[in-house]
Amino acid sequence: MKKILLMLLFLASTVLYAQRVTVTGTVTDSQGNPLPGATVQVKGTNVGVLTDAGGRFSIETGPGSILVISFLGYNSSEIEVGSQTTINVSLQESVLGLEEVVVVGYGTQKKVNLTAAVDQVTDETLENRSVPNLTQGLKGVLPNLNINLMDGKPIQAPSFNIRGTTSIGQGGSALVLIDGVEGDPSLLNPNDIASVSILKDAASAAIYGARGAFGVVLITTKNPEKGRTHITYSSNYSIKKPTVPDFVTDGYTFLKMFSEAFVNGDGSFPQNVNKETKFSQAYLDEFKRRVESGQPYNEVEIDPVTGEYVYYGSTDWYDILYKDFTTASDHNLTVSGSSDKAAFLVSGRLMDQPGIFRYSSDDYSMMNLRAKGSIQVLPWLMLENNSDYSTMKYYNPFSVGEGAVDIWNIIAVDTHPHSPMFNPDGTLTTGAVYSVGDFWYGKNGITMKKGVFKNTTGFTASFFDNKFRVKGDFTLRKDDVENVTKRVPVPYSSKPGVLLHVGTATNDLKNDWAKTQYLSTNIYGEFEDTFNNDHYVKVLAGYNYEESTYNRILVTRNGLIYPDAVDLNLALGQAITTGGGYEKWAIMGGFSRINYAFKDRYLIEVNARYDGSSKFPSNQRFAFFPSISAGWRVSKESFWNVSPDIISDLKLRASYGSLGNGNISSYIYQEQFSISQSSIILKGQLPQITKNPAVLPDGITWETSTTTNFGLDFSMLSDRLRFVGDIYTRNTTDMFTIGVTLPALYGATAPKGNYADLQTKGWEASLSWRDHFNVGSKPLNYNIRFTLADNKSVIKKYNNPNKLLSDYYVGQVIGEIWGYVTEGFFIDDEDVANHAKQSPQMRASPTHIWYPGDIKFKNLNDDDYINIGTNRVSDPGDRKIIGNKSPRYIYGINLGADWNNIFVSAFFEGVGKQDWYPSTEAEYFWGQYNRPYNNIPLWHLGNMWTPDNPNAYLPRTMSRAASNATTRELGVAQTKYLQNVAYIRLKNIQLGYNIPKDLISRIGISSLRVYVSGEDIWSWSPLYKIVGKGHMDVGNIGPRDQVIRPGAGADGFNYPIMKSVIFGLSVGI
Amino acid sequence: MIMKKQYLWFALLAILFVSCEKELDQTPVSTASKTAVFGSKDGLEMYTNSFYSILPGRTTKLDAMSDYLAVRTVPTFIHENAFAATLSSGWTWTDLRNLNYFIVNCVDPKISATDRKHYIGIAKFFRAYFYFEKVKRFGDVPWVNKPLDVADTLILYGGRDSRTLVMDSVLADINYACENILTTTDQSRSTITKYVAYALKSRICLFEGTFRKYHTELNLQATADTWLTNAATAAKTVMDEGGFSVYTTGGPDKSYRALFTSDSPVASEIMLSAISDITLKVLNDANWYWTSGTYGDKASFIRTFINTYLNIDGTPFTNNPDWPTMLFKDEVKGRDMRLQQTIRMGDYKRIVGGTPIPAPPVFSYTFTGYQPIKWTLDDMYYDSERLNTNSISVFRFAEVLLNYAEAKAELGTLTDADWAATVGKLRQRAGITGGLDTKPVEADPYLIENYFPEITDPVILEVRRERGIELCLEGFRFADILRWKRGELMNMEWNGFYVPELVTPMDLNEDGILDVAFYQGTKPSPAVEGVTYVDVSETIDGKTNPQLLKNGTYGELTWMNNMVRKWEDKMYYYPIPATDLITNPNLEQNPGWE
Repeated sequence: MKKILLMLLFLASTVLYAQRVTVTGTVTDSQGNPLPGATVQVKGTNVGVLTDAGGRFSIETGPGSILVISFLGYNSSEIEVGSQTTINVSLQESVLGLEEVVVVGYGTQKKVNLTAAVDQVTDETLENRSVPNLTQGLKGVLPNLNINLMDGKPIQAPSFNIRGTTSIGQGGSALVLIDGVEGDPSLLNPNDIASVSILKDAASAAIYGARGAFGVVLITTKNPEKGRTHITYSSNYSIKKPTVPDFVTDGYTFLKMFSEAFVNGDGSFPQNVNKETKFSQAYLDEFKRRVESGQPYNEVEIDPVTGEYVYYGSTDWYDILYKDFTTASDHNLTVSGSSDKAAFLVSGRLMDQPGIFRYSSDDYSMMNLRAKGSIQVLPWLMLENNSDYSTMKYYNPFSVGEGAVDIWNIIAVDTHPHSPMFNPDGTLTTGAVYSVGDFWYGKNGITMKKGVFKNTTGFTASFFDNKFRVKGDFTLRKDDVENVTKRVPVPYSSKPGVLLHVGTATNDLKNDWAKTQYLSTNIYGEFEDTFNNDHYVKVLAGYNYEESTYNRILVTRNGLIYPDAVDLNLALGQAITTGGGYEKWAIMGGFSRINYAFKDRYLIEVNARYDGSSKFPSNQRFAFFPSISAGWRVSKESFWNVSPDIISDLKLRASYGSLGNGNISSYIYQEQFSISQSSIILKGQLPQITKNPAVLPDGITWETSTTTNFGLDFSMLSDRLRFVGDIYTRNTTDMFTIGVTLPALYGATAPKGNYADLQTKGWEASLSWRDHFNVGSKPLNYNIRFTLADNKSVIKKYNNPNKLLSDYYVGQVIGEIWGYVTEGFFIDDEDVANHAKQSPQMRASPTHIWYPGDIKFKNLNDDDYINIGTNRVSDPGDRKIIGNKSPRYIYGINLGADWNNIFVSAFFEGVGKQDWYPSTEAEYFWGQYNRPYNNIPLWHLGNMWTPDNPNAYLPRTMSRAASNATTRELGVAQTKYLQNVAYIRLKNIQLGYNIPKDLISRIGISSLRVYVSGEDIWSWSPLYKIVGKGHMDVGNIGPRDQVIRPGAGADGFNYPIMKSVIFGLSVGI
Repeated sequence: MIMKKQYLWFALLAILFVSCEKELDQTPVSTASKTAVFGSKDGLEMYTNSFYSILPGRTTKLDAMSDYLAVRTVPTFIHENAFAATLSSGWTWTDLRNLNYFIVNCVDPKISATDRKHYIGIAKFFRAYFYFEKVKRFGDVPWVNKPLDVADTLILYGGRDSRTLVMDSVLADINYACENILTTTDQSRSTITKYVAYALKSRICLFEGTFRKYHTELNLQATADTWLTNAATAAKTVMDEGGFSVYTTGGPDKSYRALFTSDSPVASEIMLSAISDITLKVLNDANWYWTSGTYGDKASFIRTFINTYLNIDGTPFTNNPDWPTMLFKDEVKGRDMRLQQTIRMGDYKRIVGGTPIPAPPVFSYTFTGYQPIKWTLDDMYYDSERLNTNSISVFRFAEVLLNYAEAKAELGTLTDADWAATVGKLRQRAGITGGLDTKPVEADPYLIENYFPEITDPVILEVRRERGIELCLEGFRFADILRWKRGELMNMEWNGFYVPELVTPMDLNEDGILDVAFYQGTKPSPAVEGVTYVDVSETIDGKTNPQLLKNGTYGELTWMNNMVRKWEDKMYYYPIPATDLITNPNLEQNPGWE
């Protein structure tokens, strides 16, 4: 950000004339860094100079005059020259940053003049951290910029949400623009970022029209520094440790509890432990005998009848799966400089994070290269170019035994503590081969590569003393996504001398390559002037065109001739699947913005965009989106007599605007016969099939999001305390959803149309305090910032007249959880007999008989049964709304201080209120209450109902109790097991030191910083009171591995959250 | 000069706008258009390929609800007071829309009328199949022969059509298919041919004929014979022209099971099959389903049904007065050789890592001792997941023979020659030596007493016996029970083999290794190596034990008879799912389910 300001100032013309004395000096910031481009002016004259790249200035003045030193973003300072000829000035950063400039659509704006809801963070937010990608680094930093990281995987890069639920029809997330052009933030070099700005209301986003319906995120990269060439090298090295679940690892305990759960829930004595090992009462008895006699564990014997291995082991599979820690390193080099006419910046980055898996490590790496430059070709014309090349590579291993399954799920299903990893002859055991053994074999996984090349060429032409500017740019972007999936059989042995394989049904290679070519061009003119000192006017108008063409090729072929083959030429089988894919869309629009300010007191802004999109039928193709916002700086009024020491600034803001949501799949209004491959063999092959096209929508038009926003900004106590708050209502109307449910006889989902409305109400606020005092004669600067945001969405219109709970309904609060009220456990058979019947809706045992220790649900509707009634709002049976899974009161806390070149900071983020009902597959929570052979969470021990332990948290042991969300006693949502997953997380903490200049300048270094920082090192949630701290991180309750099973639930089968400690340094020359 | 430049910019802007606007017209290129699909034979073929998912596919679990299987839990449908309209399902019509869309749109004159009729014939075959399944499940259903529009409210919100209207339409569809499908043979046995259509016709007509005959409450008895005659003639067409035969090449002890365990369909007898193929990675889960203690239903035959397998000489097993107390190892000897190809017995072996090992019934799986092997492969490699490579028959010649025999028997026109060509052929393949050439004249009292008290005709009785045995586990049984109006069979006791006494271990396959023992209370100690001990106490840990002996300490095994299964007449039809009645109350609920 700073650099942009420098540039603006550098261009500003100044006048200089002779004086008698020459005063020289250096302007620095509070940390001693030179401030190039600061203005040094003789007070009361228009004589002034700018500081050079080293912050140095030289000005001629007369004795007795006063120098005013000012710099955007800093408090200006006035110094009497007296007889001094050398004056060194240290400027304090402006507490309020009132002079701060904020990036908005197609330009920048002074923060004081903002009328819409816009927020911004600068590069500081990302300094000294180690985040696998930029998206992860932005979590929690801006209020109501919601990034839902579902687990700790380095490639996690969910879409950005601004201000809560957007649309239940077409959906939609925030538009992300990198230097004005759509792009993938997860492929950016975090060190290149100058600022990230979010446009939250319709008024600020309107200039982007249809794509900005749900807010805009503007990411701006750094510009070349002015003056001499700077070289900055920074590097950090981190140590990352996974969250490891606490499961029972004792083989006998596991098997004993397995058989008990199995008998109760599966209704007979088990014959196998799932499918891996044989099981019998005799085997369990023998295991018990060994445990009780103190015979050593981990013995492998051979069954005399079948000749198969028999295991008496105790294996901690997660210990074998994960390394104790992994590392990551990040190297970044930036070279930047400029002359009178040209400026350049070249940056490069290498990021490398070896995976956390001990075998088949999921290595992650990223390479970024950016070259940015500008040249002043003519006095009025500047050309700029910005190119970016980035690649990301990640290896996602999986287990092939059951097709392609994420490791966490397959350990739960197939890999059990009583089984060791290896047989005596070194082959894998049946338990190991499905999961960790597959990793040890090390051949099954997806190699994922993403690359982006982007080039923007632009110009700025200035006319009439820079009052009128014309800007234009053209961007070409190419994205490549390559996924290569390999599945080969893995050898194992269940009896000596016999080698078997799992995964024989697959043995194939899949290449899935997708390319997107994206073009964008903008041309716009901007006029800016002030009339009669009081009337400031800025007018912007322009044209924008973008198109995107997507192509995909997918080929799978089986019959790899050897397991290490990586090329399709070596796949010789007859199971061949091919696929293509194509999508092209284009949008074009004209946009304009008018800003008017009267005496800096009354501010008004009008935005409008006329937008066209290829995704709509021709009669609906174009739409017009206007918006208006206004601000009143009360503190600038003449009647305002409050001392600036108390209230230094007060502004009221309001905005209103309406935007169309163009976030819709292409071609939806055209009849399409899609072609796919059948899964049924006909005449010896899997033929292509096509079928009746989807029902055409019942007319289609734009969804509209209309936002009303009110804001209040004030600063108090000499700018030390600052508050920014916004409250808003966003109505998403005409959402594209299904029509009134038709009788099933129709044979298709009812045609979609613009049928539903949604209202989201919310607010966000940030409060910051910044001050300093002296400690040991040196200033200690400190700051605190607290942000809080909330939103809640309600369905206002929806085609569900019967208010069936299986669908949205009018009045529904998004995220609400319907469930039963848990009354306790049945005490005895009489208790069961006297209670309302819980069958046939639910069952606790295969025989449908309820026993003591089973869950007793409260009879809410006083009929004879516990059930879901007709599953309608008016007849929900014995259920009611018991919670809500949407996060509420999302907060962030920033603490920072610096003293004598030492700086410390901490950043906490969290959620104030959120409920979670563990899904049926949440093994970390349910253990053997789901599958009998699942791992047992340690916290279950002693926490399960028995006649002697009637007050336990969990019911009597029983497999399958949590295996179905409508028919099983734990699977159904209910009050007792509803979890409070509010949390607080210490996202980042830092301690650093800037080595004083006098120590390093003699070795030719201008700055040197060392630091140590921690990422995700602490968190707390009420959930931990139930499951114990350390067993699972609250960040791991998201849906299962989305690479392997996109869209699937099963909370917790996902990548562990990592705690990192980072050591870094940064050298500037 | 500067001003001129500005005009230039505006001109450029205007050009950009005009040149880009045409880009807003985009058409999909990775999907096909209607003309492409309906204007070429390849397109029609590609579309009709989508119909095959209407068939049951590679499943072997269709008989999980039947009278002859004891399963892990009582199916909710027959569990007393457990089923209701809120739990019902099956009122889905998406396949019909796909079929009707094709039939209505297959009009492109670029394709010859003969070819169009062929493909429409395929579509009508599937529409007949689709409606047949709907009628079996719900009785009256609405007949719809076009893709409905939202504006078709009279149909969408209308009532159901009568059974006669719907079934006459089904008959018209299947007749059209028989007449117009051009393919007469497909060696891969995976696609619909003219003779598969005739086979379906015989299946549908037999169902409808017997249903109307025995469900006298419909008052359609008068029309039954027409349907039965249609069934017989359709079956006869397949027998005379289809080129199929009963497969006997593997000998009487192997041929039968080879039909169910072969990778490629046994082409002489299998008419249509759901193919599995390892090279195409298309597999089924038969072993997983039939051997896993957790995945499947743990289905085993009940003793009452096993008793219907004849002696090898063709006489009823139950003629031997000692049968009630015969031990498993003895009772399975000297029987119809389909028994040893249907359940674990005798020297049945499984393969572990290439080595055959004796495999008696295992009591961590079976509840009765009669453990099915009809669909499973012997190698235990296939047990653990979806790995089976055997193809699953959907239509086979033996069914057509049985359809013929039953239709003729019901019509009273079955001759000795008919008998020899149908049931006789099947019994001969199973190694049975007696009663192959002449139709039976003696009614087996066991069948009358246990299965069909109202049938006295020995031919009908024997055809029904034959159908039960020959087609067991192939998904016919529940529909047979419905059309014979013998729902009460679903109440039959779930019984297992005879256990003479507690504690003493039994050797089930006479390999010298003791296999299973039953006890009450405390498990015998020391335990005999290799023996599975099954607790048959009244209660275990205070909970009712579903696995008991009939006379307490001895007698037949029984399973889960504490869970009452109760057949009621309303169960001849499923209820219309409650939510579908909410969206269209004019459907009206089936009687008894309101």
